[in-house]
Amino acid sequence: MTTTTATVRSRPRITLAPTLAKPLAAAGGVLAVIAALLPWTTFVLFDNDEVNPSLQYFDAPFALSGYRLHTMLLGLAVLVVAFVPRIPGRARAQRALGFGIAAIGLISLIFLSYNGGGVGTVTAADGDAAFGAVVALVAGVLVVLSAIAAGITDIPDFPTRLPRLAAYGALVLAFAAILFLVAETLTAGGRSGVSNPYAGPTFLAFLGMAGGVLGALSGVGVVRWISALSERHRAFSIIILVLCALSLPLTSAGNAYWMTVATTIGVYAATAIGLNVVVGLAGLLDLGYVAFMGVGAFVAANLSGAATSKLGIELPFPVAALIAAILAGIVGAIVGSPTLRVRGDYLAIVTLAFGEIFTRSAQNDIGGLTGGSNAIPRIPDVELGGTAFNEEIQVGGLELPGGVLYYFMIVLVVGAVMAVFANLKNSRAGRAWIAIREDEDAARAMGIRTGKAKIMAFLVGATLAGLAGAIFAHKLTIASFDSFKFLESVTLLAAVILGGMGTIPGAVLGASLLFVLPEKLREFDDYRLLLFGLALILIMRFRPQGLVPDRVRRAELAGETATGKSIDEEEALVVEQEHDGPTGKKGGTA
Amino acid sequence: MTTLLQQIANGIALGATIGLIALGYTMVYGIIQLINFAHGEVFMVGAFGGLAVHRWLLPEAWQGDWYISLPLMIVGGVVVAVTIALIMERFAYRPLRNAPRLAPLITALGVSIVLQEAIRIWFPNAESAQAYPKAFIDAQVDLGPVSISASKLLIIVVSVALSVGLQLYVTKSRMGRAMRATAQDRDTARLMGVNPDRVIVLTFLIGAALAGVAGVLYGVDITNVDNAIGFQNGIFAFTAAVLGGIGSLRGAVIGAFIIGLIKTLGGQYMPGGTQYDYVWIFVVLIFVLVFRPQGLFGEAERVRA
Amino acid sequence: MTADPIAAGAPVLHAQDVTMVFGGLVALNKVSLTLEQGQVAGLIGPNGAGKTTFFNCLTGLYTPTSGRVLLNGARLAGDPAKVTIAGVARTFQNIRLFPNMTVLENVLVGRHSRMKQDPVSTLLRLPAFHRGERAAKERARELLAFVGLTRAEDEVARNLPYGDQRRLEIARALATDPSVLLLDEPTAGMNPQETEATRQLILRIRETGVSVVVIEHDIKFIFGLCDKVSVLVQGELLVEGTPEVVRADPRVIEAYLGKPPEEIEADARTAAEEHDKGEQA
Repeated sequence: MTTTTATVRSRPRITLAPTLAKPLAAAGGVLAVIAALLPWTTFVLFDNDEVNPSLQYFDAPFALSGYRLHTMLLGLAVLVVAFVPRIPGRARAQRALGFGIAAIGLISLIFLSYNGGGVGTVTAADGDAAFGAVVALVAGVLVVLSAIAAGITDIPDFPTRLPRLAAYGALVLAFAAILFLVAETLTAGGRSGVSNPYAGPTFLAFLGMAGGVLGALSGVGVVRWISALSERHRAFSIIILVLCALSLPLTSAGNAYWMTVATTIGVYAATAIGLNVVVGLAGLLDLGYVAFMGVGAFVAANLSGAATSKLGIELPFPVAALIAAILAGIVGAIVGSPTLRVRGDYLAIVTLAFGEIFTRSAQNDIGGLTGGSNAIPRIPDVELGGTAFNEEIQVGGLELPGGVLYYFMIVLVVGAVMAVFANLKNSRAGRAWIAIREDEDAARAMGIRTGKAKIMAFLVGATLAGLAGAIFAHKLTIASFDSFKFLESVTLLAAVILGGMGTIPGAVLGASLLFVLPEKLREFDDYRLLLFGLALILIMRFRPQGLVPDRVRRAELAGETATGKSIDEEEALVVEQEHDGPTGKKGGTA
Repeated sequence: MTTLLQQIANGIALGATIGLIALGYTMVYGIIQLINFAHGEVFMVGAFGGLAVHRWLLPEAWQGDWYISLPLMIVGGVVVAVTIALIMERFAYRPLRNAPRLAPLITALGVSIVLQEAIRIWFPNAESAQAYPKAFIDAQVDLGPVSISASKLLIIVVSVALSVGLQLYVTKSRMGRAMRATAQDRDTARLMGVNPDRVIVLTFLIGAALAGVAGVLYGVDITNVDNAIGFQNGIFAFTAAVLGGIGSLRGAVIGAFIIGLIKTLGGQYMPGGTQYDYVWIFVVLIFVLVFRPQGLFGEAERVRA
Repeated sequence: MTADPIAAGAPVLHAQDVTMVFGGLVALNKVSLTLEQGQVAGLIGPNGAGKTTFFNCLTGLYTPTSGRVLLNGARLAGDPAKVTIAGVARTFQNIRLFPNMTVLENVLVGRHSRMKQDPVSTLLRLPAFHRGERAAKERARELLAFVGLTRAEDEVARNLPYGDQRRLEIARALATDPSVLLLDEPTAGMNPQETEATRQLILRIRETGVSVVVIEHDIKFIFGLCDKVSVLVQGELLVEGTPEVVRADPRVIEAYLGKPPEEIEADARTAAEEHDKGEQA
């Protein structure tokens, strides 16, 4: 172990001889395969255990399914990656696969020993031995070490100038794979609850596997290549992406329950993208953002003929949603107006204050418009040509599950919100926002009316949130102040940051994770917030740029540099520059 | 008239509690420009620390004598609060010392959630509000037309005494000078032989100790606590610190008294009553930030180019 | 407006008795400056003389306590954005680019006030949007070529070498189509070659009809570049005039330069020679 001398941050570093890379990888890969074939518990955990036969080693030793299958596949992948010559970005791929295997091992280890009542469950007890989880964990660590020994290199680039057909084919394949992955992830472990004690860990183990595979693909440059391709064929990609999203009801996730989950994710994803305009682009921290969603929800509820609404107005949904969005936007502009005078942390507090005022007022049924603690229940379903959106529908011979129309609607809305975000980001307005985020004084010196631009950011973000809120209210058929509290704002902010600030896939991924995880981990419900808080701390510490960082811009929470250099290399540069004295940035006095 | 005076007295007592918390906010912000969002939770944890001492450490014979139990509970609250604050400084904030400003703020939110949840989950029965021992003279003191409980008077006295003490420490002592130097310019202070890490740790320590005292006294006065008292009072305290001009000790205390008064008087005299008392505080906060962002006692930030 | 003693043509920029007081501290005391079209004016003075404060007053970052600033006879508002829109652009002493934007994007931000985009065509990517973007990019690339950064257009600004960052800042300022360009220590920390390149660049900017004010420490650089030089000492305008006049003024030598006159003479002579060489090349 050595410690870097950089003054900025000293992080202990493991160094290993490069010659160790192959043996370590081989050992790790073989161990992972062995782990998959070993028993994982010394006894059957739950009575009537039909849900997860892979645990019942003694009944079905070769029934490799679930995470044991995943462990084996990852192990084989490690061996392939290690011994196929000339794989670019090999070490990155190995590192990701290693983390994947280790994650499966660790999650199983914790779950099995916790429920089995001690480490005996996962080692040896009563004459039985079950070292599967431990071996998997060791295998994962070995593979990660092999990657470190080999040395992490830059992510390779592939040519993106392909014949049109080839490019289209690659994109269709990629998006189909994403659809498959999304469906599998949604349904992994099944529906959480009393009937299925394995749902949480199975889901987490699946995430570990999926993360490992995606990380490996990213390491060898496939992810970057695909995103470059889709950038090049933007229109085609959007069409295919929307088509893929629309075909989710045809996959294993095609029932009413998953449609509801997916719709909820969509609502939060749209809101998160709106927040991303404010935080990611303009760099304005908003701690009361969910209030705009609340405004949208309450406005829509009151305008759609909900039974307890005092207004007694019933407008068609599109009109109600439009008014909701516009009103939320106006409120956003008002909340944003202190940005004319207040900066940075203080602005965050002002937004928090507005958020709290909103919650308090809604809780007290202000103006009789929010229903107070009774909420506004029984908001009628959206209807189209006589079909309520929560009904099952038939298209040709296809039976589509209930709620599928809400899902379709939210897919289209998220698509539209994405387009708004992307088109604004690459425009005069978007550049002005980013310039303000980077250096407000310099932006003003470039002729940008920063006050106007910041209020615009709030307005756009709030409008999108208001629209999402209107859909949210109709889908849930109830609008309650309880859904729009401080914690929701923090969760949305966390979604944006976890995903990666300023990027669309980041906001969607972040929202998905943060709103699916609680759904999936019901049995950990008591620990949900605790884990969420811990996650916030750990993300800020170890990956502040998020899971899908903006390729170029990471001003607020920068980690890696745009060229892909690690933080430490960058630090070395900084330190060098500081030593250079007058030629460094700090040089020159007045 | 009596109501008014009574509410003023209540407001001052509330302000005294908030003031002790606000000092921690303002000191930490002054030194490392961090809004330590979790500082309210340090107050809450301190209250539970005092409760734990009373429940599990005090022999039954001593529990009736407040002059024995109260000091021990305060010591317990302070020890717990300080321990938590130091752990949080060392493991959550210090690694982010040079990170962009959003990072520590979000970390602070995370710490806040973790502490609230940790108490809820692991402090026995703390899913619901816990009864707090009235470890002080349980009597009302009549001051002219106003009647105020002895425990409220105690809070006011302790709060004023500690604030004055802190002010003296920061202006007169060697370490206090180091703190002020670090607040002005960390790099220069380092060159002058001040160890900024030690100063920052000391800042967190003092802030947490004050919050711990406040937590125990609050519990004794209100006689029940739950895991949400930190968030609410923390926000009040933060507002007080901003109102007084963040970074200014005197400002934080005066701001706290103003906030206390706004809450009690707003609850009494403004439309909506106590249901909206919370709202008036935020309205004031917004107005102060917009029209006098440097607060009542802070210095105006000068634009640099 | 009072008649200007030096200017023959109409002044582009005219700062009149600008006074700036911070608390009790008088940072600037009745400083005036007149700049004609196509002129390069230099502003020199010891540390803390108020040079940057003066710039901040000109660009609206500070509102002067008293006095006024006129651009083409119209009073400038005390708002940096409006000043820039009116036609005064600046660079900063400690480079202030948008570090995580690309070089091209930095310059495009400079085009902000000179391009129009309506929300509808932006959101729907209508032809009008593409036309506007194309025109802005074309102009930005022209400017990058002008300062010699064409090859770096997709680099992220913070990864540029120091000298290139200075040049990018100039290109970004030029993108606002200014009639007056204010440069705050454009050669700070540069080696002699880079300094000379910067001098050439400023001369080329002057040729495009833009008037320039330069703050510098490097006297040689100022004397070899500027048409007129103002000396600020402790917030007061000490001397103003052509380089020859300023160079010869004993008060300048005493108050600011602090070296014996012969040495300065020598410096100035080399500067003048280099200047001539530059002209010939």
